[in-house]
Amino acid sequence: MAMERHERFSLPKVWKPRNVGEAWSLKRSFGSDAEYVAGGTLLRTWWEGEVAERPAHLIDIRSLPLLAGIRIAEEGGTGIGACTTLAEIRRSCGLAAEYPALPEAVLQIGAYSIRNVGTIGGNVASGIGDALPALLVYDAELLWFDGSEERIAISEWLERPEDCRRDRGKLLMQVRLPDRANAVETPTGGGNAPFSVYRKVGRREAFTPSVATVAISAGRTEDGRLERVRIAAGGGAAVPHRLYAAESLLEGKTPDPDLLPLIHEAVEETFRPKGDVFAGEEYRKRTAANLVAAELWKLSAGRQGKE
Amino acid sequence: MIDNRTELAPAQSRLTLRVNGAACEIAAPPSTRLLQVIREFIGLTGTKRSCEIGRCGACMVLVDGEPVNACLAMAYQVQGAEITTIEGIASGTELHPVQRAFLEEGGFQCGYCTPGMVLSVKALLDRSPDPSDEEVEEALSGNLCRCTGYGGIRRAVRRAIELGR
Repeated sequence: MAMERHERFSLPKVWKPRNVGEAWSLKRSFGSDAEYVAGGTLLRTWWEGEVAERPAHLIDIRSLPLLAGIRIAEEGGTGIGACTTLAEIRRSCGLAAEYPALPEAVLQIGAYSIRNVGTIGGNVASGIGDALPALLVYDAELLWFDGSEERIAISEWLERPEDCRRDRGKLLMQVRLPDRANAVETPTGGGNAPFSVYRKVGRREAFTPSVATVAISAGRTEDGRLERVRIAAGGGAAVPHRLYAAESLLEGKTPDPDLLPLIHEAVEETFRPKGDVFAGEEYRKRTAANLVAAELWKLSAGRQGKE
Repeated sequence: MIDNRTELAPAQSRLTLRVNGAACEIAAPPSTRLLQVIREFIGLTGTKRSCEIGRCGACMVLVDGEPVNACLAMAYQVQGAEITTIEGIASGTELHPVQRAFLEEGGFQCGYCTPGMVLSVKALLDRSPDPSDEEVEEALSGNLCRCTGYGGIRRAVRRAIELGR
């Protein structure tokens, strides 16, 4: 029904540019009549749900070499091509060791078959993807092409809503994760190893839109104090962002259970979720605050357990 | 920046792929859904059409051995790929062990979700012959059943694991 109505009469043309410049030029020429497409899983739900109009032209970016694969960057850190599938991220041992909150976030996006097709680029470029809180706490940067290469901190990009508009024609090329100094995390998060974690709550156990997502990362000094604390939250239609007030409460401190009520309050006060008919803003704030407090409580319990 | 558009032409309506081992060349527009290619151009109707937005898994097929929702994939995305549908996994009249397990354990009632379930389980057991419960849950998280209940389906998966030993 829906299929006949739309597809028989107005199937989009597909363009296969050979390089980033060609892809960008096509988008510039067609404007809002074209969309960059890699896996297209999110776009399909938008088209069918009439959230977005299906464009007349699809620009296939999967074969652009700079957009593929996970690699160690020359200047240190890791570069993830925008067309890397969520499944590839989930399977990457390198990412699991150094940036474990990212594969954990990805595991909770879509379902197994969706992750085989959907890409990190699409999740990021949507501006609301569930991978974003994890990328925020690792201080990720985004490498865009807009006639020339542009590099921007993901936190800064998310704060500029006009930059999230897909009709602007900028092409996301890579997600860059900075080197985490001696950052191979142990499964228990024990000792002085850096710590990071990601949690998502949805209305079902799996394959569900998020109600709230949180990510936390921190380094640890030799005497067990947390440093470079990052806390971020998102979920649903919210644009994910850092929770600076909660971060500063933890910075330089040991993860002490006595701090948790203050941190809980700071998360509730500063998180800016978007409510809908299923889950209002207050509920989402409370959920995010509970997740942050629960993870920090586990961290403190783990530390105490070792003493 | 030079406008390269004139040097490029849009992709043509010619799809070559292998379906259940047989080479196919199909005059399908590149943005046709794979689901339509399989059901209407090739005539294999075991791949079921339901939600059309990748939520239910009834249209699951294997693309180069990995499960993909045929309602999401477009023809140009599977150019040159090996597609396996539910029609392609039995050996002659001998059911695939996963099909047998669903039959023997009552892993279906109406059967509409079953082709997709079977293919997701086949892909799982091909990559991990003795999966944990978590792996089974992850592998089937995109296949919804609205009448059997998941108890029978879990039993069928366990049985398929035993049959594969």
